[in-house]
Amino acid sequence: MLLASAAALPLLLGAAGCRSSDVFTGPDPLAGRPPLGHDVLTLQAVITAEENMIDLYQLALSGDPGTTRARTLRSLLAQHQQHLVQLKARLIVPPGASASPSPSSASPSPRASTVSITRLRAAERASAADLVRRLATAPPALAQLLASIAASDATHATALGG
Amino acid sequence: MASTGAVAALQAALAAENAAIFGYGVAGAHLTGSSQAAAEQDWTAHNQARDALAAMISARGAVPAAAQAYYQLPFRVHDAPSAIRLAAYLEDGVTRAYLGLVAVSDQRLRRFGAMAMQDAAQRAASWRGSTQAFPGLTPLVLLTLLAP
Repeated sequence: MLLASAAALPLLLGAAGCRSSDVFTGPDPLAGRPPLGHDVLTLQAVITAEENMIDLYQLALSGDPGTTRARTLRSLLAQHQQHLVQLKARLIVPPGASASPSPSSASPSPRASTVSITRLRAAERASAADLVRRLATAPPALAQLLASIAASDATHATALGG
Repeated sequence: MASTGAVAALQAALAAENAAIFGYGVAGAHLTGSSQAAAEQDWTAHNQARDALAAMISARGAVPAAAQAYYQLPFRVHDAPSAIRLAAYLEDGVTRAYLGLVAVSDQRLRRFGAMAMQDAAQRAASWRGSTQAFPGLTPLVLLTLLAP
């Protein structure tokens, strides 16, 4: 019965003057993967930024591992690693899509000797501002997570002397 | 007409600011020197925030909730260390309250809430002497956020 009905469908559609594209209004399954949602793109961008921040702290620590300042940096680094865990846990990537965003190539990788406290402070401030900018289009729960991370970053900037 | 969600979130932030104003009055009485000056500065900031929130609520056609005459403190405050703990506790509460504004649909309110969170988190970190990974979010809330 089902087979007979399915086989008859093209005939019925043809008789009614319909093409299949008129009937199925959802995404075209033959057009490839649909674009990633805005919240996924936001998360990917924030995850990349968080990974870059962690790299920056690790570079700063590699050049200055045993001082009092290093203890502060390690504490802040640990909090950025917690941010990253929470952000990645929220990222649900559709099958077939890239699980991790490509690293940013906006600025060249710094060397340990070039990562100053001033640079870390500026990075924290920039991150807090970027996260607040992203709130406008984020779903409510993600917006709250981003706002909390932005507040954390703002306190980091102050802890670094700003 | 503003959404009831926005007004409710503003009222929650106002309630937290009123509690902080009361709490700083108690904390300040046990502090001296630079700590007392910091408490006075923060008390002033919370008064200004209260006025701003009350104006925002009124502008949306609602009545700002009045402060209570007395607030139950979370623990006994009897010296400078407990007063400092209270100040950090109050700022944590204010941070959590503004988190509600970040979830409303009005984009300007979201930004306002986020910036107020930063101010409160900065004050909390200053009193506590350390930063937090997720100001305003409790571990339980973080788990909830992770739920699909």
